[in-house]
This record gives sequence, C-alpha cells and structure tokens, in this order.
Amino acid sequence: MNSVSLNNLSRRNFLVSSGVLVVGSYAYTSGFNPVYANGTRTLSPSVYVAIGTDGVVTVTCHRSEMGQGIKTAVAQVVCDELEADWEKVVVAQAEGDAKYGDQNTDGSRSIKNFFMPLRNAGAAAREMLVQAAADSWGVDASECEAREHTVHHAASSRRAAFGELADAASKLAVPESPTLKSRENWNHIGKSRIHVDAQDVATGKAAYGADVTLPNMAIAVMVHAPVLGSSPLNVKVPDSAKANSRFIGIETIDATPGPIGFNPVGSVAVIAEDTFTGIKVAEELEINWSDSPNQDFDSDTFQQDLREAVEAPGNVWHEVGDANNMLEGAEEKIEAVYETPFLSHAPMEPPSAVANVVGDAVEVLAPVQDPQTTRNTIVGAKNFALENVKVTPTLLGGAFGRKSKPDFVLEAVELSRRLKRPIRVQWQRENDLQYDYFHAPSVQRYEATLGENGMPTAWRQRTAFPSIMSTVAAPNMVEPANWELDMGFTNTPYRCENQSIEAAGLKAGVRIGWLRSVCNIFHAFGANVFIDELAEQAGMDPIDYRLAMWDGMDVIQGALPSEPGHEFKIERLRNVLRKVRENSDWDQKIADGHALGVAVHHSFLSYVATVLEVDRSDPNYKVTNAHVVLDCGTYVNSDTCIAQMEGAVVFGLSAAQRAKLTFKDGTIQENNFDGYLIARMPDAPSISVELIDSDHLPAGVGEPGVPPVAPALSNAIFKAGGGRRRSLPLI
Amino acid sequence: MSITVNVNGVEHQLDVDENTPLLWVLRDHLDLNGTKFGCGRGLCGACTVQIDGTPTRSCLTTVAAVSGRHVSTIESLVDQQPDLIEAWVDENVSQCGYCQSGQLMSAAALLATNAAPTDEDINVAMAGNICRCGTYSRIRKAIRRTAEARQ
Ligand code: FES
Ligand code: FES
Repeated sequence: MNSVSLNNLSRRNFLVSSGVLVVGSYAYTSGFNPVYANGTRTLSPSVYVAIGTDGVVTVTCHRSEMGQGIKTAVAQVVCDELEADWEKVVVAQAEGDAKYGDQNTDGSRSIKNFFMPLRNAGAAAREMLVQAAADSWGVDASECEAREHTVHHAASSRRAAFGELADAASKLAVPESPTLKSRENWNHIGKSRIHVDAQDVATGKAAYGADVTLPNMAIAVMVHAPVLGSSPLNVKVPDSAKANSRFIGIETIDATPGPIGFNPVGSVAVIAEDTFTGIKVAEELEINWSDSPNQDFDSDTFQQDLREAVEAPGNVWHEVGDANNMLEGAEEKIEAVYETPFLSHAPMEPPSAVANVVGDAVEVLAPVQDPQTTRNTIVGAKNFALENVKVTPTLLGGAFGRKSKPDFVLEAVELSRRLKRPIRVQWQRENDLQYDYFHAPSVQRYEATLGENGMPTAWRQRTAFPSIMSTVAAPNMVEPANWELDMGFTNTPYRCENQSIEAAGLKAGVRIGWLRSVCNIFHAFGANVFIDELAEQAGMDPIDYRLAMWDGMDVIQGALPSEPGHEFKIERLRNVLRKVRENSDWDQKIADGHALGVAVHHSFLSYVATVLEVDRSDPNYKVTNAHVVLDCGTYVNSDTCIAQMEGAVVFGLSAAQRAKLTFKDGTIQENNFDGYLIARMPDAPSISVELIDSDHLPAGVGEPGVPPVAPALSNAIFKAGGGRRRSLPLI
Repeated sequence: MSITVNVNGVEHQLDVDENTPLLWVLRDHLDLNGTKFGCGRGLCGACTVQIDGTPTRSCLTTVAAVSGRHVSTIESLVDQQPDLIEAWVDENVSQCGYCQSGQLMSAAALLATNAAPTDEDINVAMAGNICRCGTYSRIRKAIRRTAEARQ
C-alpha cells in the first residue's frame, strides 16, 4: 500500500522528537491516515476509502471502536458498494478531524448517520475503477461490471483487478452521485461478519489506551480529590518515595472554576517511571484538600429530595383533557413511585491517555469516543492552535458514554506540558468510580384511573432527576432537557385522553453524564412496570393490555420533532411485542405458571421487546432465559446486532439486579467491584435474539437493548411471587 | 533487587522491587501488554495469567512469589490452545475485548483440567472474570465448542 504524505505540523514535530509511535505490538506509522495527496497512484475518492496499486482497500473508520463493532460495520458497507473482496479490506482508525464529519461515537448513530456517505464512498470508487477499465479497453463503462475485486467486460471476457486499475482511476473525476446497489444485491450489508479485531483480541495484541508506550514516557498515577470541587492545598511526600529512583515527582492540578464540563478535577499526579511505583507513592501521600460546596452531598438525602419533587406539580410538557381534576376527585386510583439510583459506566478499561507536548503542539493517543471534541477541548482549555493538536483514538476497552468526556486526556496534556516529556495518565478503578460522569438517579410518580374496560381514563406521570446539562453546559441548567425527556417520557407510547406529563430537575453534587441508553433506563423502567400494574388491576395479560391501549394509534410525537423517515410508529412497537410473545412461548408458559416478565421500548429510533424468565425457586430470582426482538430498520452486521442485544441484557441486568452507587459527604462509598456489583457469568441467562428484517432507515443498535431489561425483570419477579419491586436495584 | 521469573518459557532477570505485582512486571517491564489492569484488587479477572497452570490474578501476585515458577500469559495461549482461540474468534465472542485475555486464560485453565465442563463448572471457573460488555453467553459457547471438538 502506498504511504501517506503528511502535512500535519504536530505530527512532523512529533516524529522528529520521538521517532515511530509504538502502540502495543503495532507501529503507528504514516500509513495511519489515508488522506492521499494528489499525484499518488492510490485511488481515494473519499476520506473513508483508499485503494492501493496492490489492491489493498483501506477503509478509514472515523468512529471510535468500543465493542460495538463499528470498524467491521463501516468496512462492510464500503466493501459492499465497492464490490471488494472482504479479505483484501483493512480498517484504519481516523484521527479527529472535521473532514470526516461528526465523530462523536455516541447516541447509537454511527450507521444511522453514515450509512449513505459510506455507501457513496464505496460506490464512487467502484464507478471510477469501472471507468478506468472501460477506458483502457475502449469500451463503454455500461458494458463493464465490478465484482469480486475485479472489473469484468463480459463481451470480450476481459478483466482487470482493482489494484491494476487504481492508478488510472485515481486520475478520474469523482462522481458526485454514484449509482448505489439495490438492496437485493447486497452481499455484505445485512450479513454476519467476524469483528476485524477478533484475532488480535484473542491473542492479546489489541491495543488500548494503557498499551500505548512512547520513548521517554513517564506514567502519571492520579490521586483525585475526595469531593468534586476540592483542590490540593498541600501534599507531603514520604521520604521513602524520595529515595526511590523510579519516582519522578508530584504535580498538583486545581479544580477548574466555573462549569464542570470536561475539565479536570482537583488532583495530585504522581509521576513515575512505571505504574506500580506511581501507585505505591500515591498510597503514601498525605494531602490536604480545600473545602468544596459539594462536601455535604449525600445520595440518600438527594433521593429524598427527588421523591419530594414528584409530589408537587412539575414543568408541564404535555397536557390534554383534565387529568389533574379527575385524579384529585377519583374514588379509586392506581399510584406508584419508581426509583433508580446513581450508576457508573465502569468500563473494564479505566481511563488512560497518552499525551506528548512538543513545543506548541500536542499529540494524543487515547481511548476517546469523540476525537474531535477531545481536540477542541484541548484547544479551548490549553491554548493550542487547532492544527497543532492531533488526537487519535486507540481501541476503547469499553466506554458506554464515559469516554466521550475527555477530562482524563486534559490531565495528560497538562502534565506532558509541565514535564516536557510524553505522559501516560493511568486511573485506577477507584478513580474511575469516584470521578465518573454518573448516570442520574431518578424518581417517577405515576397515577391513573381505569375505566370499565380496564383502560386508563386519566393519567399523570412525573419524573425528577438531575439534568446532564447542569454538568456539561451550565450549573443553573437543572431542569431536564427536552432531549432527555424524549428518552421514554414525553414520547411515551402510553397515551390517554386526560393526561399530564410533568418533569422536575435538581442539582447534584457530583458529575452527571450519559450512560448507555441514558434516561431511557429509568423511564422505560417506570412506564413498563406501571403498565404491568395496570394490567394486573384490569385483570388482563400485560401484552394484551398494551395492544389494547395502542388500538388505533399510529405515530407517537414527543417533545422534539421526529427526523424524517424516523417517526415513532406504534405498528413497529406492536410488531416486536408480538414477536417476543411468540418467541418466548409467552402464553403457554404463563398458563403453565412460569415467571415471565415483559417490557417493550422505543429508543434511539429502534424498537426492542424483551421477555425475561426467572427461576421462582431461587431467592434471588436468577434469570434463566431472555428473549429479545430488535427492529433497528436496515442493519449492517447481523451478528453484531445480536451481540449488542446479548450484551445489553447483561448490562441491563447489572443495573436491574445489584448495581447502586451512594455518596456520603460528597465521596463515593462503592469504589471498586466489591461494592459496585456487575453481572458475572453465573448471572448470565441464555439469550435468544430475533432481528426484524426491515427496509426502514438504519437506526440505533448499541443502546436500545438496555432499557427493557430492568422492567422485564421487575415484572417477572412479580409473577414469581416476589412482590412489586419499584426501586432499582431489585435484588 | 534482582529476581528471576520465567514467563512463557523465557527466563527474565529483573531488577525490581520484590513487592511489585506480576501484572505491572508483565506490562511495564516485559512489554507483555496482553494482560490487562481492571481493578487491582482481584475482583475483575482482567489480569488473569496462569502460574504453573493455575489461573491467577496477577494484580495480587508479587513478582517474588512467582520466582522459580512458570508464568504463562495470553501471548503464549496461541501456542498452547490454538483451538480455543479459534473458537473464540469463530463465535465472535469479544466486544470491546478488554476483558478477553483474562477470560481466555481462565477458560484455558478450566479446559486443561476438565475436558467436558458443565454449565455449573463454567459458572464456577469464570465467575471471577467480569465482562462489562456482557459476552458471557458467547464465552460459554466458545468453551463448549472447544470441549466438544476435542472429544
Ligand atoms: S486487575 Fe486483577 S483482578 Fe482486576
Ligand atoms: S468484551 Fe468488553 S469487557 Fe468483555
């Protein structure tokens, strides 16, 4: 493959100063970023694809890989339109650069937003190869066809491999609107493919943030303030550390004033030649921290405040009919309060980042979900020129939303600037749990009256939680935002002609962020358990009850307008629910007394129904079986979609069964996996997944499997005789 | 002080604090980065290696404790149990992959002593390895597939 010409100042500085970047067992050489300068012989009609004269196709994945299989899916899409041979495709990871379009790998939208651009990239390259072949044979391009990495001219039985054509094709104009393949001719999109990194992972070669090593690099082990907002006042370094030749020194970082955003928190960094020296010295430091307004923050008190918030009217987001008066005057109403606690992302890879500041430029290699935001944040916080900041994602050892906040990268940049050498910041699990951007706790209150037929006649729902905006935007933005409420609350499919939908926000003394499926976690929980309770009251099956409520309904409108082609269609929700009923043998098993629970939820423009079965005889209601049906529209890697649903069941079970974080005096109480309890092998049920074949637009896959899990478990436990459990965690 | 350790069949002479956890010796001194750091307290299994064939959390094992013993890491598994790695790839087990070195080392140790593990055996052997991405059902399949193919 041809190599790349580099015009990037920071890159050049970097190479001069430290030679080749070594990442794990890979050398990150200049072949890394396939932006091919004019005059090379490589065909690169787009930033996403390049075909060398050796026939190797390099697909550049501009989204971060964190386990959702995006590198593989991106390659499948390009490969399909290009008619390339899968075995000749390699995938490169893009650095952060606006030329790729949005790189914020978040919100389950990589395929949704880039399906068409990637198809166009592959199709443009295909048409150029076909044109180059036609030109060389003196025939019309319409007589030629690309397949299996080769252009064929059937009439003359001539053929030319892509590699032979790349040079000539690279001199042609890039077609503006290439013809895309029709769906029935897809041979990679919609098929199952093994992840491109699978072999590297299984042999220990896959490289994550902490696997990046640069010449002359030092390690920074972080000691973060016990309370958000505190800064180190003074630090006593023990004599034993001073005598250790592998200990380099300490650096203090003050809490950043103003909005929390993605800024570093107060800390003492222990700089050492190796990680263990850093850890050991970190344990022995004596640090005095400044006072902080958050030092009294207590999660029990906060939960009580949330409970009180839903007792009073909130901001009204939707009101029809006369729900309030009907509920006040009702002789009988059903009322329930649902609660969820603080949760942490706790990706298996704790935050880690490498930065190398050389003069007025910096290069970063780190497991970040959004290299552009990381880059811009460095520019904003540290006064580098944009062109002097280079950020390249490594593989992410799990992220779930955590690693879209680059606070840990800013630490590395600041420390490298001070120490004038490459720095790898290493967080321990305790740092990770104390300084997550936590999933918000919530309380919801539902009230309804039922008519003769068991259907709701009046309905009021209130939610209260701390808004993400109060952390990432401005401290006074405490009210839940419309996009947070459109995660299962203001766009609820449970409608009633007398209905009030209300929300309230409170400010927490810790950082709040988005965690895989975000507010859908608590909103799907409240809604799906409440429906189960209403069905019980009405003496109806909970699936029948939903179907009856949706009778005659078509489209759900939330607080925000729908994207064209992505309207929330009740028919699709109904469909996944019916399928999961069949697949789980719901009716027979319920009749036979099995303990099954169901939930269904629309999120990230996809539709998921989940049935869980629990073991009645187990005091902890072990989940034995899970059935999931996913309608995500057009999908790319079928096996990835299935894997994401399987993973979502387990991720959802962690939150549903045992995970809970608490704070006392502003400080986390569960600081490792002995306190923060994640689902393990014995907790994992057998899981079956059905993917709906659909020609709707592609929608989300990574997140929408999570929300139905907790309510399905609560509903199954109720069936098992465990009572109504309205508060997470359930066990 | 100088300590001799045998990792993947190679003897290394190291000048490190004898209390250094094996995990950090592997990663920081021997450039064997396949073994991962997840919790540092024996709670997650990301750092699992084998010591004389026994799955062991390298974050809690000092380098002094393995002097004179045989350490094997994920980097050597492809020589020892290539079929297990193949099953892992064929089942498309890994998601983010960060936990998988540890999962594989635990699974390999199980299969070395138990040719036909039951679900319960798998639960017991694998309970110490967290996978936050939730790949457990595929791990189970890959272990069974390997065991069945070996029969
Ligand atoms: S890092 Fe050793 S068990 Fe978690
Ligand atoms: S594959 Fe991501 S933690 Fe296991």
